[in-house]
Order: sequence, then C-alpha cells, then structure tokens
Amino acid sequence: MGDKHLRAGLIASGTVVALVLLVGIISPFVPYDPAEAVNYDQQLQPPSMAHIFGTDGQGRDVAMRVLKGTEAFFLPGLFAAALATLLGALSGAVAGYAEGWLRTGVIGTMQLIDTLPRLVYIILVCTILNPSIYLIAFVAAILFVPSIATVIRRRVEALGSEDYILAHVAHGFRPVRILLYHILWLQCRPMLIRQATYVFGYVLFVEVALSYLGDYGMQEPLPSWGNMVAQTRELGGAGIWPWAFPAVAIVLTISAFLAFGNLLARADEEEVR
Amino acid sequence: MSRAARLAIAALRRAAGGLLLLVGATFVIYITIRSAPGDAIDAISPMGTPPDVKARLMAEFGLDRDPFTGYLAWLVRSLTGDFGESLVFSPGAPVMEVALPAFGRTLLLSASALVVCLILAVLASLLLGESSRRQQLLTGPLYVATAAPSFVVAVVFAQVVNWAVNVYLVQNDYVPPMWYPIPIYTESLMPYVFAGFALIAGDGLFMDFFNAVRAELTALRNAQFIAAVKAKGARTVGHIARNMFMPLLSGYAARLPIVLGGVVIVEYIFTLDGGGYLLLEASRERDFPVVVGISVLFTATIIGMNLLADIVRAVIDPREVAHGG
Repeated sequence: MGDKHLRAGLIASGTVVALVLLVGIISPFVPYDPAEAVNYDQQLQPPSMAHIFGTDGQGRDVAMRVLKGTEAFFLPGLFAAALATLLGALSGAVAGYAEGWLRTGVIGTMQLIDTLPRLVYIILVCTILNPSIYLIAFVAAILFVPSIATVIRRRVEALGSEDYILAHVAHGFRPVRILLYHILWLQCRPMLIRQATYVFGYVLFVEVALSYLGDYGMQEPLPSWGNMVAQTRELGGAGIWPWAFPAVAIVLTISAFLAFGNLLARADEEEVR
Repeated sequence: MSRAARLAIAALRRAAGGLLLLVGATFVIYITIRSAPGDAIDAISPMGTPPDVKARLMAEFGLDRDPFTGYLAWLVRSLTGDFGESLVFSPGAPVMEVALPAFGRTLLLSASALVVCLILAVLASLLLGESSRRQQLLTGPLYVATAAPSFVVAVVFAQVVNWAVNVYLVQNDYVPPMWYPIPIYTESLMPYVFAGFALIAGDGLFMDFFNAVRAELTALRNAQFIAAVKAKGARTVGHIARNMFMPLLSGYAARLPIVLGGVVIVEYIFTLDGGGYLLLEASRERDFPVVVGISVLFTATIIGMNLLADIVRAVIDPREVAHGG
C-alpha cells in the first residue's frame, strides 16, 4: 500500500477512534435518567433537529442512547486491552527468552487457553457466575493472551540471535532491560498496538452480543448498542431509526479500531525500517 | 526412515498432544464450574429443582468430592459419552442425544459457509490480484463492510429481506402478513442460507481469507519454479492450483473456530435448531448438563481443527517434521 493510502486510512479510521474515545470520556458526565427519557407522545420519530437520530419505540432520544451506550463497553474494553497486552507481552517474552521447563510450561498454558472457544466459554462463565461486564472483559483478556504471546514469542525468538542484541548482551546489559526495553518496547510496539485494538474490538463485540441476547449484558432501560439493536424484535418493521444508528455505530467502531491498529502498526513498522 | 513413516509418527504425536489439550481444556471447564460462588449446586441447577435431582447432579459433576478426584470421575464418565441428562430443554433425554444432532447441523452450516467464503476469496484474488489500483480502491470499503460482527449483519439482513417481502406483498395487493419470512420456517432451507450469508459477510472473515489467499497466490506467481514452467512454455494453472491446495486447507481449518464463534448468535437470530441456539437456550433456562456438553463439543472441534491444520502444515513443510515437533 502506498504512503498516500496509508495516511488517508489512518486519518479516516483515526477520526472515528478519536470520536469514540471522546464520547467515551464525556459520556459519564452527561446526566441521563432512562426512566425520565420515556415520552409516549414522541414514539418512533424520524431524525429531526430536536432528535438528530430520531426516537425509539418508547419515545427516547436515540442519539442520547447511542452516546450513553458507549459506557457499557468503553472502560471494560480499555481495561481488557491493557491487561491482555501486558500479560501477552510478558508471557511471550518469557517464552521466547527462557529455556527448558519455563518455556514449555508457558507455551503449554497458552495452547491450552487457545483451545477454548472464546464466545462459548464466555457464555459458560456467564451461566455459572452471572458476572459483571468487568469480569467478562477480564475473561476476554485472558482468552486473548495466547494470540498476543505467540506473536511476541516468535519476534523475540527471531531477535534473540540478531547481532545487535548479542552486542547488548556482550555489553553486559541486564536481560530484563534488553527484553523489556530493546525488544518489547522498541521492536514489538507495533504488534502490541495492533493486538490491543483487537482486544478492544472483541470486548465491544462481546458486550454488544450479550446485550443483544438479553440475558447477561446491559439490561433495559440502561442503554447498550446491543440492546438497542435488539429492539428489532419488538418493532418488527415498524421503525428503522432505533436500531439502524446503533448498528452503524457498532460496525464503524469495530472496523475503525481494527483498521487504526493495523495501519498504525504498519506506519510504525515502516518507521522502524 | 521413509518420509511417510516420519509423517505418520509426527501426526500421531500431534494427535496425542491434541488429546492432552482436550483433557486440559475440559479441566478448565470443570474448574470454572467449581468456581461458582456459594454452593455450586445452586448455581448450576434451575430454580425449583427437586432434591433428588440435585443429589444426582452433585454426583454427576463430582461436586461432593475434592476438585481433582471429582474431575477425574466426571472425565471418565464423559469419555464414555455420558454427559448426564437434560434438565429443562428436553427433560430426561441424555445430553448427547440432544446436543450431537444440533451440533452436527452447526458444524455443517459453519463448514459450508466457510467453503463458500474460500471460493469467493479465491475468485476475488484471481480477479483483483493483478490490478493493484482497483484493489486499493476496493480494499477500504470492503474492509469496513466485512469487519461487522456476523450477528449485526444477520439482524440487518433479516430486516431488509422482511421489509422487501412486505413491500412486494403490498404492491401486489396481497394483505401484508403479520409474520416475517425470516425467521419463521425453521424446517426450510432458507434461514440456513441467510445465516450462511451472514457468517461469510461478517466477522472480517472474507477479508482475512482474501488477504491470505492473495499473499499465497502472489508468492506462488513470483516463485522460481513457476518462472521455469513459464519458460518451458507450459501452462501454470495446474502447478499453481496444486501448490495452493494444502495452504488453503490449512487456512480453512485454522479459520473454522472463528466461524464457530459467530455461528452461536447467528443461529439464535434465525432460530436455527443448532448447537449455538441450544447453548444459549440451555444457558437461559439453566439446563446445565446441556451447556457443558455443548461447550465440550465446541472445544473438541476446535482442537480437532487445529490438529488438522498442524498436520497439513507438516505435510507441506518437511522442516516441521524434521524438528520433531
């Protein structure tokens, strides 16, 4: 891909990512009472100046619910992305650098976690524990550690025999410093960014999916993009605004985060070269 | 030792590793059950379960013993295919009698959707592979379109089709029906086709496959032996196809777990009588033996697919065998 396309993609996806981050940060400070928002005089209105995304079956402003719906996944997503990246980078580095039983043990554990079907396991956990979204995000993070660790381990193994790393070893740098700074921070940063956006996107997907299904996610009247899309079940074909905007928000956010991570990583890789 | 014998040994080794992983994964599932707060038996049984059923559940899941021996007892029973009896979904029926046919349908749906996706990816990379300009123009929109979660695609798709049918009926002076064409006829094939479409179009599956196929194709086209074939004036199609087959098979097996993640909710949207729908319904009604049985089936399938991908990779690349891995 050319430089121009890379920049255009970065700007396009970056705008959406920035918008989501902005909305996610200001949303908790916007006062909203889901019970008071109900207004049966204004059901299923199309978009207008008063309600830019229209209103839903109970006359609630869709734009406001899309905004408040970010709260359902925003902080859990950031938490999971940070946790998975941290654990994945550390275990990948350990597995790539260490030898003997430690390496075997870490790789075995990673393989084991990797065999669990992610969504099915999350639903199993939900059935047993009926957990909060943070616990779900925690489980999602753990389920993503193997894929991050594998990428990092391959990189660490490849770098371990590079001349300049050997030179660092010869200079007497401590292994921890070489591993954490020279390998993980300087060389693996692009991959970690990419993987972190994947995890964030996955937590968004899980939250939205569980809320859509209705048993374990965000419960009405609290808004989530998932339970907004689920309104198709009650509305039938009666109105498209209540679910079309959240559906678009889901698609745009997930694809923007994935694309932004990918492009940022690619730009960073070209920088490193 | 001949290459075939070495391959067979490598395959056996991997199969043993896969079995070990299955034991480990079922242990994780079992420990998850045991981690229920308070009395585990209350967490896993539906409301108002009679005491004798509770006692049977306790015994079945080994909850009356310590986690380790409890797991071993549960594992031994599970290995004989005995996952207990369904409590709510179809009371009294052995779990596997309910779960296996449903899961079979899920597997058939996912596998055939992935085959269609593979064919589309190959066609797309044959059409677009040469021209980088067209490709770049298409990549962005295609990327956004296919990154949507498959269940969102399914919801939107069902709405659009229902709306279109409704409009058609009104235009032709039929009375618009109260029901919707999808999902309603669970015994017809149509919802399965729609579900398959959603699986192909969602979860970034197509783009992922397309990129992989294109990279493989480009590498092959630039390979020296293809240049040699061209220099001899022979046709390259056969050579490329033969060398593409194994990587595609490996990529196919590696991607089936992704589809199995999406299919759970898509089945629920179209009310298809499959493993994912069964899992969600059983989870809702706290039919715990069924939930566990289905989870084990999904896990075993993923391990099997990873194993297949691994063995295919070993067949393609003799180095993997030489390393004894």
